[in-house]
Amino acid sequence: MSDASKERLFAALDLFREKVNENARLRQMNRDWNRDIAVVAKDLVGVEASISMRAGLMEWQPQSAENPHIVLTAPADVLIGIFRGDSTPTEPYLDGSLTLRGTQEDVLRLDFVSLMIWGE
Amino acid sequence: MKRVYGVSLGSSQRDHAAQVTMLDEAIELVRKGTDGDLERAEAVIREIDGTVDAIGLGGIDVYLYARGQRYTVRDGLRLMEAAKETPAVDGSGIKDTLERDAVRYLATQTTLLTPQTRVLMVSAVDRFGMAEAFVELGCPVVFGDLIFSAGMPYPITTLDELADIARRILPEMGKMPFTMLYPTGKEQEDHQDTGRFQEYYDEADLIAGDWHYIRKYLPARIDGKWVLTNTTTSKDIEELRRRGATHVVTTTPVMGGRSFGTNLIEAMIVALSGKRPEELGHEGYAAWLERLRLTPRIEDLGGTPA
Repeated sequence: MSDASKERLFAALDLFREKVNENARLRQMNRDWNRDIAVVAKDLVGVEASISMRAGLMEWQPQSAENPHIVLTAPADVLIGIFRGDSTPTEPYLDGSLTLRGTQEDVLRLDFVSLMIWGE
Repeated sequence: MKRVYGVSLGSSQRDHAAQVTMLDEAIELVRKGTDGDLERAEAVIREIDGTVDAIGLGGIDVYLYARGQRYTVRDGLRLMEAAKETPAVDGSGIKDTLERDAVRYLATQTTLLTPQTRVLMVSAVDRFGMAEAFVELGCPVVFGDLIFSAGMPYPITTLDELADIARRILPEMGKMPFTMLYPTGKEQEDHQDTGRFQEYYDEADLIAGDWHYIRKYLPARIDGKWVLTNTTTSKDIEELRRRGATHVVTTTPVMGGRSFGTNLIEAMIVALSGKRPEELGHEGYAAWLERLRLTPRIEDLGGTPA
């Protein structure tokens, strides 16, 4: 995997942050949800990102998360598809290409966040 | 004698068997809980398929509705399709009519429900007819679909917003394992007495909807409030009495000492009619409900009204 994949992943995270933060309804829904989420692209060695949700707003950093509440692990293309809204998390989760580690409620909530942005 | 078998993803602690008479026809009813085990439920259905007159699927929905749009729950459909010969139903064939009528009955035949009654409806996409009936009556309603299924502190207050959120979420959520979306098996016996989401209970006069969602965060005290739900056991009713509820109303009648889920009532109608669900259709079910004259069961728990 190339630097291009890494750049595409980071661009997708930028887009996801923009969509989360501009959505007033989603901010309201997530106002109590303060979570750190590790994003691991398993085919990009040494490339990790950490998402921070605080009071309904999202930030992300191109570094590993310390003691994350949720860990998302998938090939870069799967992660890019999810964060860009090209695909939902459901199918990769069900076919095993996306693994989610965290409490069931947190995992479900992350799915809801994605669907509230991209679902139609 | 007709034989109706209920297969539920719910707790086996709620298992029961009864013989009831409906329109002069004896019906043997058996309910089998599989403790959240989808494979076991599927195996039970395959085993009884062809040996009973109808199967009711409990503890799971096959279809959810919002504003005329139907959404499929994949695991529910899998169970329904496991029955190749015997008709299997989830209650959605009668729920809309039965629960809509129950709200109208309570508004016109009792003093419990008025347009001023503040309603917390814990989940509406599994009983959209009831949701619409409250709104038609003019009640202020909080739809708790996001609160109770995903733990999101977001009260939905209009049917339009409910339908919008359903359109975004349900096509994908319906593909997820049902156990992620709804308490099944032992989870149904657990209760989180944490005070979480208590404000939504506090602000309501009536708590309505699925019993397992109602119970999920049920506060220690619900003095002066009443509950409208689907199926309850004597243990559930004692729990509500202890917490101060004034009344519990179930949308289905008591038979053999307890109320049965809409899935079993629908299965009984299918068994009595001798037709398949698709032959009965909406009008056929409505005609049977009219003949059965089912009215809600109202139990006064002795609590003091607010």
